[in-house]
Amino acid sequence: MKHLVYLICGIVVTVIFFILSCSSGFNIYDQLFFDQALTNKMYNLNMFPTIAAITIAVAWGGAAIYYYAINSVKFDRWYHWLAVMGVVAVLAPVACFIYNDAVFEGYVGAKVQFEMQTILFAALLYVVASFSMRWWSTNCRHTPIPQ
Amino acid sequence: MRLFLFAIGGTGSRVLKSLLMLSAAGVRPLDEDGKPVKDLEIVPVIIDPHKANEDLKRTEALLNDYRDIRRKLYGNEPNADGFFANRIVTLREIMSNTSVTLGDTFIFNLGAVENAKFREFIGYDTMNEANQALTSLLFANYQLENKMNIGFVGSPNIGSVALNEVKDSNEFKAFSNIFRQGDRIFFISSIFGGTGAAGFPIMVKNIRQAANLEGIENRDALSRAPIGGLTVLPYFTLEGNKHDQRIATSDFIVKTQSALYYYKNTLTGDNDSNVNCIYYLGDQVRSKPYLYDPGEHGQRNNAHLIELIGALAPLDFIGKPDSKLSDPDGYPLPTTAYEYALDRDDLSLNFLSLGHHTRRLIYEPMSKFHLLFLFLTTGFKNMIGQGFTEDAPKIKSDFITSQFYRTLVDHFMLGYAQWLTEMNDNMRSVALFKPGEIDMAHAIEGVGVRKRLLGHFKVDNDVFKAEMNKLSKNNPAYSDRTVEFKLLDLFNQAAHNIFTERYENIN
Repeated sequence: MKHLVYLICGIVVTVIFFILSCSSGFNIYDQLFFDQALTNKMYNLNMFPTIAAITIAVAWGGAAIYYYAINSVKFDRWYHWLAVMGVVAVLAPVACFIYNDAVFEGYVGAKVQFEMQTILFAALLYVVASFSMRWWSTNCRHTPIPQ
Repeated sequence: MRLFLFAIGGTGSRVLKSLLMLSAAGVRPLDEDGKPVKDLEIVPVIIDPHKANEDLKRTEALLNDYRDIRRKLYGNEPNADGFFANRIVTLREIMSNTSVTLGDTFIFNLGAVENAKFREFIGYDTMNEANQALTSLLFANYQLENKMNIGFVGSPNIGSVALNEVKDSNEFKAFSNIFRQGDRIFFISSIFGGTGAAGFPIMVKNIRQAANLEGIENRDALSRAPIGGLTVLPYFTLEGNKHDQRIATSDFIVKTQSALYYYKNTLTGDNDSNVNCIYYLGDQVRSKPYLYDPGEHGQRNNAHLIELIGALAPLDFIGKPDSKLSDPDGYPLPTTAYEYALDRDDLSLNFLSLGHHTRRLIYEPMSKFHLLFLFLTTGFKNMIGQGFTEDAPKIKSDFITSQFYRTLVDHFMLGYAQWLTEMNDNMRSVALFKPGEIDMAHAIEGVGVRKRLLGHFKVDNDVFKAEMNKLSKNNPAYSDRTVEFKLLDLFNQAAHNIFTERYENIN
């Protein structure tokens, strides 16, 4: 039951993140980095939901792969989990940047700075996803912090 | 049911050690239906005046370790499944530790015997001249001068006199008070030495004639008790073998022959029901020569196949139905004799050399215990803090410094490794497991891991860890158990699964 509560909380936090990413009033992406031109462009092209979805997918996907695909006694230490977080933190901004660049060209400097936020959000979402889903993993349920 | 197991002399101690190892592995006596005998308590009593005997000391230490380990695992519960399954207790423990005359020990106190020369013990100096002359005819001078704290030095004629005192001891009285109908008695002794050859018939006589003894309770139950015995025939040789030695290999056969005649006339004859089951065990292939030591230097003999096989005898006896031991009125039936044969006459034995019945009984438990030994000594320490160790109850890092862990790994497992090495180095060589091999997939001699689509199955500490993680996950069975139980029970289950799935089946 406790574990189910963790999962629900994780989903709620992720949904809130998604909502705040799409919001025009309080947009979470504007809080750490703001470039008027880039933001307007992305908002006009309705890119924020996709950027948030990519970040969420990479973070939750990374956690799912770690806990259920890797799920190995050889990789059940905290530093293995941290390594996957590192991969997620690199993969998410790279994916977002590729998407961003595919939609419209230019603003390279601003886009790179924008994606720096994604590193942080992806890492945070990876932590949230880990604590939501790890309980049912056979070999890594106590990683990174024992229950 | 209680089995009072009298281990007499050096061979008794060594066979008992093998029984301990089998019990630690989880080998349990099976009834006729092949199910483990319920509510069993084994009460070993070591009878040996030679307290400095290294074999006795090693066995006693292992007995104490076994008892401590089992208590931590199962408390006082007699029925357990897994490692250290057989409950082993002292006489005093059965009396709820209330006895003021008994020590909490597995060793029979032979105070009057141990502290005297034989001549003092029989009062040689107070005899008249005629009796002294008769005594001198019966006993050699070195026997009269023998200080019995080193045993009877291969002289059953001394033992038969000295051990007659046993019936007056507190231990014998305690045993007779505790003994109940339904309990059984088993003796382990050699027939070619001094202590065992003499002790077995005397103890049987005293039990069967309990009605004539003073201060003994449960006389009827004792005189009708099912009694079994393992009589070990010559199986080892001694270095030197000079005729002036007090114990000489060349005398073993003659002594055995004489004792067998005596047993036939008094214990195990055709219509004799003093002993219900007698197990004869020996080997014409003799051991590597043991150091000649009549007792002064502690007498430490290497473990041997015969002792391992001998340890199966009490287990077989426990599993016998009452109908094969007593008639419908409860009187003991005449003696049935048993022998043992290997399936293959190998000089270096593995599990495949043993008969099907023995293999089915010991192969899986012993292999699992050996894997536990490898797991605890090579991999477990690094697993603390992950996986199953973090499930409740948690196995924390201080577990490996706990009394239980040190007793299990530093004492008992060390004794186990020594026992294996000694058997392996002896003749016949018992090579059940490859000495020094820490690769679990190749540790069992003659048995490999199964093939799969690509290559062979893997068996290592990680495989065990993964299986234990799986078994421990959301498992409420351990919530009210000790961490010690959790560790060994999880391993036992994991080992069973891995064993069944990954190792070749030789049963």
